[in-house]
Amino acid sequence: MQQSRARLFKEYKEVQREKVADPDIQLVCDDTNIFKWTALIKGPSETPYEGGVFQLAFAVPEPYPLQPPQVRFLTKIFHPNVHFKTGEICLDILKNAWSPAWTLQSVCRAIIALMAHPEPDSPLNCDSGNLLRSGDVRGFNSMASMYTRLAAMPKKG
Amino acid sequence: MISDTITNASATAAPTSARDLGKKKRTNRAAKLKQSKLGLRREQWLSQVAMINRGDKEEMDSNRRIGSEKTDQRDRPVENLDGQRREEEDNSGTHRHESFIESLSNSPNSILSGMNSIPNFSSSSSSGSGGSCSGNITEEEDADADDDGCLDDWEAIADALAADDEKHEKENPPVSCEEHESIKESASPRDLMNGSDVAVRDANADCPRTMSRKQKSNQAWRPDDKLRPQGLPNLEKQRSFPVMNLHYSSLAVPSSCPICYEDLDLTDSNFLPCPCGFRLCLFCHKTICDGDGRCPGCRKPYERNTIKVETSIQGGGLTIRLARSSSMFCRS
Repeated sequence: MQQSRARLFKEYKEVQREKVADPDIQLVCDDTNIFKWTALIKGPSETPYEGGVFQLAFAVPEPYPLQPPQVRFLTKIFHPNVHFKTGEICLDILKNAWSPAWTLQSVCRAIIALMAHPEPDSPLNCDSGNLLRSGDVRGFNSMASMYTRLAAMPKKG
Repeated sequence: MISDTITNASATAAPTSARDLGKKKRTNRAAKLKQSKLGLRREQWLSQVAMINRGDKEEMDSNRRIGSEKTDQRDRPVENLDGQRREEEDNSGTHRHESFIESLSNSPNSILSGMNSIPNFSSSSSSGSGGSCSGNITEEEDADADDDGCLDDWEAIADALAADDEKHEKENPPVSCEEHESIKESASPRDLMNGSDVAVRDANADCPRTMSRKQKSNQAWRPDDKLRPQGLPNLEKQRSFPVMNLHYSSLAVPSSCPICYEDLDLTDSNFLPCPCGFRLCLFCHKTICDGDGRCPGCRKPYERNTIKVETSIQGGGLTIRLARSSSMFCRS
């Protein structure tokens, strides 16, 4: 308890210091609860998510950093490894490949990398995974960019 | 014959003190001249470097010619001061001098030939009469001065070439072979001279110069050059050395534990639990070993024996602490 709190506080200070260093990630701690974080990440370029801003919710467990934080998308996203309804993310480093050396910031970076390189063979979103597995990259891209425009971009007018 | 040599010897021995004084003065003058020459040459060189940057070889050659002629003109007054005696007996000397100027104005190659002619000349003049003895001495001095002058000039040229080369390298990093070849060619006559002249000239006087030039241009010797001094370290040897800096940077001790972000103390920073080099504090290591027991750096399970080592370290730390407290207890 005390250890995870101290570590999160140090991470918070680190994030404040490195705010300018990574323009794609904005990591914000909840005002009242240091175990609740939200992050805004920019969709990587040359993907259907380009131009969108996606919101992530972090729930940090007590034994952190020995256990991984629970992360899910708050913004709707059409991605084979993200559950379309709950926003749950299927990512190895958030499950069994977690290492205490990871930080919330590096988790955000890993999620951006996952957006750029989807893994259609372990899908949470079967429609999206099937599109990619059948080789319909064009169909997948159009669906993903449509949802990016619908959910992750500021509404016009 | 014997009497002749004796009288010669006495004649040379008698005016030694006066000649010594004159010699001192001359050497002083020569030193001053040399100093001013050096300053002038430095200025020339700087302006050359500033001018030449475009690698215009022709321009540099002309500059070099001007510079060498200037130095020669500056050398002349010294010789004139040495007296008229030489004028009558020194036909060969003046002839030598002219040829020397010519050779200087031609190319570095002919500089070398001019230098080769120096020992011949001095030997011929020393075979002259006893009256030419003092003249002979001054001659040798002048020859030395000339020698230095042309050598320095050569060095300056080499420096300018090296600077030129460096400039080129800065301008276009992928260095073309031609440039290297040209440097090699310009360096090779020097090496040839070294090889042929070792018997005549003092090799000791030559070596430092070539070595210093070598350091400047890095082009004097190829690794397979047989003239290359054995004592010089070669690159292979240096590469075979363990690169200490890299070694340390790869295993650099972080100032704080990457898990809990607490500062590492002395024991923690000496604690290396995993061969992958990932360091962490003993406290976090303990909690990880209570859990899944995998290294956070490489995700491989910690080896049992390293954990044993770690406990022994901990034990050592404990005993040290005990010893300290007991010593304090004894004092009180």
